Formats: sequence, structure tokens, C-alpha cells
Amino acid sequence: MEKIAVIFGGKSAEHDISIITAISTVIKPLELTKKYLVVPIYITKDGKWYSDQKLKDINRYTKKDISETLKKLKPISLSFDNGLELLRQSKFGKVSKEKIDVVFPSMHGTYGEDGTLTGLLEMANVPFVGCDTAASAVAMNKVLAKKVAQSSNINVVKYESFNKVDFKSGLDKISDKVKSNLKFPVFVKPAHLGSSIGISRAKDENDLKNAVELAFFYDDLILVEEEVGNLIEVTLPIIGNHQLTPAFLEKPLTKAEDFFDFDTKYLQGGKKGSKGAKGSQGYSEVPAKLDRELYRKAEEVGLSVYRALNLSGISRVDMLIDSKTNKIYFNEVNPLPGGLYIHNWIKKGISNTEMVERLVELAKDKYNEKNSINTKFSTSYLRQF
Amino acid sequence: MKKLINSLIVFYSLKFAKTITYMLQVSEYRPGKYLKWFWSTDDFSKVITRQQLVKTSKARAIVLGINLGIAIEILTGLVIMFLGANNKIIGGVYYGAALIIVYPIIWSQGIGLLVFMARVLLINPDEKKKIEASKKTFSKTKATKIAVLGSYGKTSMKELLLKVLSKSMNVSATPGNMNVAISHARFANKFTGNEEIVIIEFGEGAPGDIAKFANNTKPDIAIITGLSPAHLDKYKTLEAAAKDLFSIFKYVSSKKVYVNLDSKETNKYVTEKEIGYSEEGALGFKVSEVSNSLKGISFTLSKGNKVLNVKSKLIGRHQIAPLSLVAALALQLGMKSADVEGALRETEAYEHRMAPRDLNGATIIDDTYNGNLEGVRAGTNLLKEVKARRKIYVTPGLVDQGKLNKQVHNEMGELISKANPDIVVLMKNSVTNFIKEGLHKENFKGQLIIEDDPLHFYSNLASFTANGDVILMQNDWTDIYK
Repeated sequence: MEKIAVIFGGKSAEHDISIITAISTVIKPLELTKKYLVVPIYITKDGKWYSDQKLKDINRYTKKDISETLKKLKPISLSFDNGLELLRQSKFGKVSKEKIDVVFPSMHGTYGEDGTLTGLLEMANVPFVGCDTAASAVAMNKVLAKKVAQSSNINVVKYESFNKVDFKSGLDKISDKVKSNLKFPVFVKPAHLGSSIGISRAKDENDLKNAVELAFFYDDLILVEEEVGNLIEVTLPIIGNHQLTPAFLEKPLTKAEDFFDFDTKYLQGGKKGSKGAKGSQGYSEVPAKLDRELYRKAEEVGLSVYRALNLSGISRVDMLIDSKTNKIYFNEVNPLPGGLYIHNWIKKGISNTEMVERLVELAKDKYNEKNSINTKFSTSYLRQF
Repeated sequence: MKKLINSLIVFYSLKFAKTITYMLQVSEYRPGKYLKWFWSTDDFSKVITRQQLVKTSKARAIVLGINLGIAIEILTGLVIMFLGANNKIIGGVYYGAALIIVYPIIWSQGIGLLVFMARVLLINPDEKKKIEASKKTFSKTKATKIAVLGSYGKTSMKELLLKVLSKSMNVSATPGNMNVAISHARFANKFTGNEEIVIIEFGEGAPGDIAKFANNTKPDIAIITGLSPAHLDKYKTLEAAAKDLFSIFKYVSSKKVYVNLDSKETNKYVTEKEIGYSEEGALGFKVSEVSNSLKGISFTLSKGNKVLNVKSKLIGRHQIAPLSLVAALALQLGMKSADVEGALRETEAYEHRMAPRDLNGATIIDDTYNGNLEGVRAGTNLLKEVKARRKIYVTPGLVDQGKLNKQVHNEMGELISKANPDIVVLMKNSVTNFIKEGLHKENFKGQLIIEDDPLHFYSNLASFTANGDVILMQNDWTDIYK
């Protein structure tokens, strides 16, 4: 059986969400297929790596403090000598190696979805599920993602971005720039975080300053963008490397002013919505009830974004629609949707076990494709010294 | 070694009494069955897996009795040890320690003996008295008594009769799976005297049972729902089971014994085909215009000018025969056509018997109470017929197949393969390889999953399915079967 390492947790604000994604929607179905041996790798909030079968038990995170379990374990280290190998040290100092065939990263946000983890896996030359380093880095940078989309003639909402230098220059300067270039209300977002962490809606200058401060608390790059009027928010999960399979276009059942903050998404279970399917992110309408032509166009925009950003494996493209003008704007991309957005795929007719199997196959395809490219080039450059 | 340690932990902990009582309860308090299970168990920590001890007053009393007995035994052992240590009893330390150490054996075996004694000395004489008294009640009642018997389909037939006939008449039926002589006696004890129809399910399990039940209840009408390998641990052969079923003819004075001719095995023993009912019709009524889906079945039933439009939420072609018989019988008993049609429209699957339910857009057909080959045939026929994104078949196999165990499970594998499911999930046990042989014989090309932990599989079914899937789950083994 193939050995699949599922990496989760990590130094990210979305650490806890990652645990749920990994255990419920990745590890459990992978095991149900009876095709793989699952090796859980848990990264603590301070960056230590652990691997033990006990770490597959959700109760160790939800009903107890995971540190109790970790006390009895030794952190692992990695070796890239022969693909990816986990190095475990026994109580008597003996080191054992465990070779990993495929990695299924299940980490959200910083150090997970942003390309850092995949960079490491690419160095290790091991197949892994999801987008590669470059695509992840672009996708997880909301400013960069918008720029790439714009270059492919995909509509984005009018925005301004600010970095820490701008922040240090003073809130007034940021506020002036926003006031002169954008119309209130605006949304202020950290550029690299997902799960709506640090996002605020600002109706005026005072709100804006507070929102900017909050966003810079989480990130060193932020985005301020205009609110879309007559808003319909939709999201499209997609899988594939070259042949893309979209799930259903999904519409969260929240009002514009109740935009998906962290609480609405994960803690309240969609209390703010009233009906529809309860997914990993609360109540939503699957498939979104849109005019057939608008639905088709939104799906096409989603697929265009996926291609433009060179995404692979799985991603979710969020879009904003002005229902009066029927104009569709690319909003952001999530290279590892929380819970794989499995509620939507199930409706589409892809079960959780099928989904993880497909993702593993896509990972292997991408790996084989990449390894067919020659990376060796002999030169006489060094001989001249 | 690990299993032995696990078992010792159970034996010398508070779980012991609960585990032993659970084994007794699942063995229906039959000492032989219980002891057989006890001595074939290698890991007592895994005994309570699928279900939990149902805390009836009987079970509570046994748990309390065992715990009290153990406490007294340990105390006695300690006293003997103390006396031994003080030279009051020679070797007292060893005798006392031995008494304490052997308590799991004494109580696990002793409780079997106690239950046996209680059955012989108390329960059996009491039940005999009640059964004798019920004979008079059954003889006196003016109600038409319908006996339902067969290796499978009894409860469904009984419920169907009850649902339809109750529309116009005062009908009473044996409750749930209460289908042996003492259950019949308890049932008779509750008669009000107003019953017009009485339906009695015969739960035959050993040679002579049918004669005994019929002699007690004296049915006016009998329905043989089918014959297939079941309870062969007692009957030994299918012929013996058939002989027992067909002995009902001797006891039904009206000769109104209706036999399910769709049942391959039953058909072999029927000489007068006019008394049968089948997919083609019943009591002279002919079936036509059949429409079958996961939402239910509909067909036309006609005899001369009489036409009935039958619609039911029951699923599967195998339901045509019982629906036809019940409709025809209801008319024969004086019900109006409109009432019969209306009552049939309200019929739907009974719990765990071809009962469809939705799971995130997938249809789960719960047939986990089905435990016979004919049920497998009906289920796989349905699976063959329905349209689905993926067809998934789940089973642990059948129990109590006696000498026919291998043959029956080979055939089961063949039937499954012929239904062409995309995935077959087999719960790993002693018959898995027999089913696999049948699957291979019919060149099964789908995915085969062997599941070690049924509970794990059932509780994770949602991860396994998606919109448009059809999952047929047939039979479910309790902890007693391995």
C-alpha cells in the first residue's frame, strides 16, 4: 500500500481548522478506501513536527489538550536523501526511517497554503496534493492574485494595497489614498490570510483606520477594496491539473453586511443563514440559484482564474457578482478549501473517498509531469575560475 | 498474548458482570448458545462491540447478582486467606487465593447453569401453563385467524396484512418479532373479543415448530411466504425445513394455504399451483403494467371486470406477490376496492427491510434485517434494475446456514456479481471467502473492499457516498457471530 503523509496544524491562525480538515475530510476517507497507509504529521503552533497514529484521533484535540499526547512523543525530522523520509528517534536513540510516497498537505493559511510547505516538498521531490509553490504563493497573496487575474482580463474590484512601510508612514496617509481613489464602504483584508481572519468592513474613515490597524496586526500587506453593490457572493470549488472539474457554484446565504467573518464560517455553523445546505462554512445554496447565463459566465470566470493562476489539484475561486449589472469580479482564491468543500462535491456526485483518491492521483500525475522535464544542464561555466 | 491480557483485564474488572450478562442477553438466555459463544471467544474486551447491554430488569438483576456473588466470593477468599495466615486453616492462604482467582470461571459458568435451572424449573412450566390456556382463547375467538410462516418475509407480510385489513376491519397481529409459542400465548391473553382478524406470525426455528404453533393457534388461513436456507443449524437440511413449513396443510381446515411461488425453493414442494401467489398474480387476479423504482412500485391487478390500481411505497419486484395476495385476500374478506387501493398506497418499507433513506443525495437501502438468500436475490435484482451513479453492495453474509454455508455464500457472491455493482463491501468474517469465490466465479469487475470493522464502516458511510449513489446494505451480524 502507498504511504500517504497528511500534514496538518502548523504555525497559522487557521491551525485548528486545519486539524478538522485533515482528520475528517482527508485522513478518514483515505483510510476508508483501504488503498493507503496514512501517516499523520502534526505541526504544532510553534512549528514542531510530530508523527504518530494517535494523532489521527480527533478526540485528542477536541476533548483533551493535545500537548498531553505530545509529551509522550518525540518530534520527528525529515530526510530528503531518498525522496521524503521521516526520521524517528526511539527512546534508546535509534533512528528509524519511514519513506513517504505521497504527501497530502492539509494546512491552511501561513506556512501551509502559501507555498512554503510545498517548496519543501518540491525540494524533497515527493508527489504532493494541491497547487505548486509558485501558484500557492500567488494565490495566497490577494494583491498578487488580483494583479495576475487582471493581466488575464479578469475583472477585479477596485482596490488599493498597503505594506508595513505605508503603515509606519501613518494611518492618515492610507486613509487619504483610500478616500481619493475608492468609494466607501470598503473592505480591509490582510493579503495572506484565509478564513476571513482580520477582515473588516469600513463605512467611513474612522472605521477604516481601525480596520487597517486590525489587518496589519495579522499581516504585513493589506488590501482595501470597494464593496460591490447588489452583491451576490459565489464560490466555485475546482479540481484538476489540466482537465478541470468544477463543483457547483455555491452561494453563501448571508446578507452583504454579514459577510463571512471567522465566527460565521466556523463557529456559528451558519446561524446567520436561514436555509440551505450546511457545509463546512455554514449554510449555503448549492448550486447557487442564478440565471442560467450568469451561472455559466461565473463558472467560466472561475475556471479562467484557476488557469491564469496556474492552480492544480484543488482550489476554490471566490467571486463577487453585481446582480444589477451582472458583472462578475474575481475576489480571491483558496488553494486548500476548508474541509475540501466536500459538501459541495458530494452534491456534485463525488464522494469524500473518491475526492481524496482523485487528488492523490492528480498529485502523482503532476509529479510525473514535472519529473519528465530535464533540470540538468551541463555548462563549462565553473571551469573558467 | 494481547487478547489474553485484554480478556484477563475484563475478567478481573467491573466490566465482567456486564460482559457476561450481555452475552446471555444476546444469546436470548439460552445456556447452550451462551456457553458456545463464551468458549469460542478469544478476546473478551471485544465482546460488546456492535450493541450495548439493554438494561432490562432481568439484565439489571443478573448484573447485580453476579457482582454481589463475586463480592461474597472475594470476601470469603480473603477470610480464608486471613485464617490461613493465622494458622487457623492449613493452606488457607492458597485456598483463599484460589477462590478469588477462579471467580470468573465460577460465575461465567455458574450463571449459565443458573439460567438453565431457572428455565427448567420456573420458566418452562410457567410458559407451558400460559400456552395451554391460550389454546382455549384461540379456539373461542370468532376472528379469522391468519398464520404467516416461512423462512423469510413473514414480518413484512404480517405488517402488510395489518395495514390493509385494518382499513375496514378490527385487526390484531403479533407484535414485532414475537413469533414463538409463548409470544402467541401472551398475544392471545390481550384479546378484547372484538377482533375480526387475528394475524399470527410463526417463527419456526426447529423441526416440529409449525405443528406445535398451528396446534395451539388453529389458523383458518395460512400464508407460506417462502423457503430458503435458514435455521439450518437445527433443521440440518432444506427438505426438513420444507417438511416443517408444509405440515401447516394438516392444520388449516379450510385448506386456504397460500404459497409464494416466486420463492424458488418453495415452488419445488407445491403440487397445487392454484393456491400459490406470485409476481404474476394471486387468487385469480393477474398482474400487469408494472412500474418499479426507488420511490415504490405500481401495477394493475385484474380479474374479469374487477380492476385494482395498486401503488405502494414498498420497493422491489419481489413485493408484487405479497401486495397482490394481500389485495386479493382483502377483497375476499369483504373489503371495497377503493379501501384496498387506499390502504396499499399507505404501505411503505418497514424498518431495516428494504427501507430506502436519503444520505446527502445518495439512496441507502437498509435491508439489514434480511438474513436469507431469497432476500439477497430480491435485493440484487433491485440493484440490477435501478439507475445510479454508482451501485454499492454491502453485506457481512448470512448466518445459520448450517451445512449449506459455503454453497449459500458462493451463490450469494454470484448473485451480487450479476447485479454488477461498482463496489462490493464485505464485512470480514468466516464467510467472506465463500462470497469472494462466488464473486470471482461470475467475474466481478468492480472494486472489492474487505472491512474489518463494520461499525467503523457504517458510521462513516457519509464519507463513502455522494449524490446519485445507491447503496444496498443486506443483513447485519450481531456480536455473537464471527
